[in-house]
Amino acid sequence: MTTLTRQDLNFGQVVADVLCEFLEVAIHLILYVRDVYPSGIFQKRKKYNVPVQMSCHPELNQYIQDTLHCVKPLIEKNDAEKVVVVIMDKEHHPVERFVFEISQPPLLSISSDTLLSHVEQLLRAFILKISVCDAVLNNNPPGCSFTVLVHTRDAATRNMEKVQVIKDFPWIVADEQEVHMKEPRLIPLKSMTSDIVKMQLYVEERAQKT
Amino acid sequence: KTELSAPSAKDKKVILLPCRNPPSRERVQLWLEARKQYEGLQKER
Repeated sequence: MTTLTRQDLNFGQVVADVLCEFLEVAIHLILYVRDVYPSGIFQKRKKYNVPVQMSCHPELNQYIQDTLHCVKPLIEKNDAEKVVVVIMDKEHHPVERFVFEISQPPLLSISSDTLLSHVEQLLRAFILKISVCDAVLNNNPPGCSFTVLVHTRDAATRNMEKVQVIKDFPWIVADEQEVHMKEPRLIPLKSMTSDIVKMQLYVEERAQKT
Repeated sequence: KTELSAPSAKDKKVILLPCRNPPSRERVQLWLEARKQYEGLQKER
């Protein structure tokens, strides 16, 4: 058993790669399950050895990829506390928030074969929970849209700046309207603890959606 | 004597979101209908 720091093996990069790949699948699935876009744009694929629905709309796919490309440097430096997929009504008020709360251990105790062991299995459980979450959520009003929020620290935003410029995908500080939700109902979906990352997913749902 | 330092502005928590919006549902719906039409035409040929 060897104890490694975050600098060894570019540990942060490995975590960011794994999480961003997972978040991409999760975002597609949330948009499908919560009926944000027409079901006709989604195609069945296999990820983490389970069937998932992924969009085939080029502009939407590019948007999700660009978003995660900007979030990646924050995850890499352990500066993304939460990544939140927000579903908003026509007035741009949040009706649902899918909150991915992420934390990474500062030290890592591993043997060569356990670095990524079980991570895929744990992420699969998240995907399965998302795919059935509509059973515990109320229907959303028609005409919803979505955005992605990242909870970070002011100093960490510098890690994003270069990528923002390259991708021509600027980020701004969210205002109260985008963040505040009246009387949210909290629904825990899944949590995991692995060698490389701890994560929990819960949904905050607005009590009155219409 | 130990003093607790106040959190600096750099440590302030912030919530960020992309400046750009994703494509609207209507825009995606139009794309989907156009694709269906195109696929229908391809089959007819």
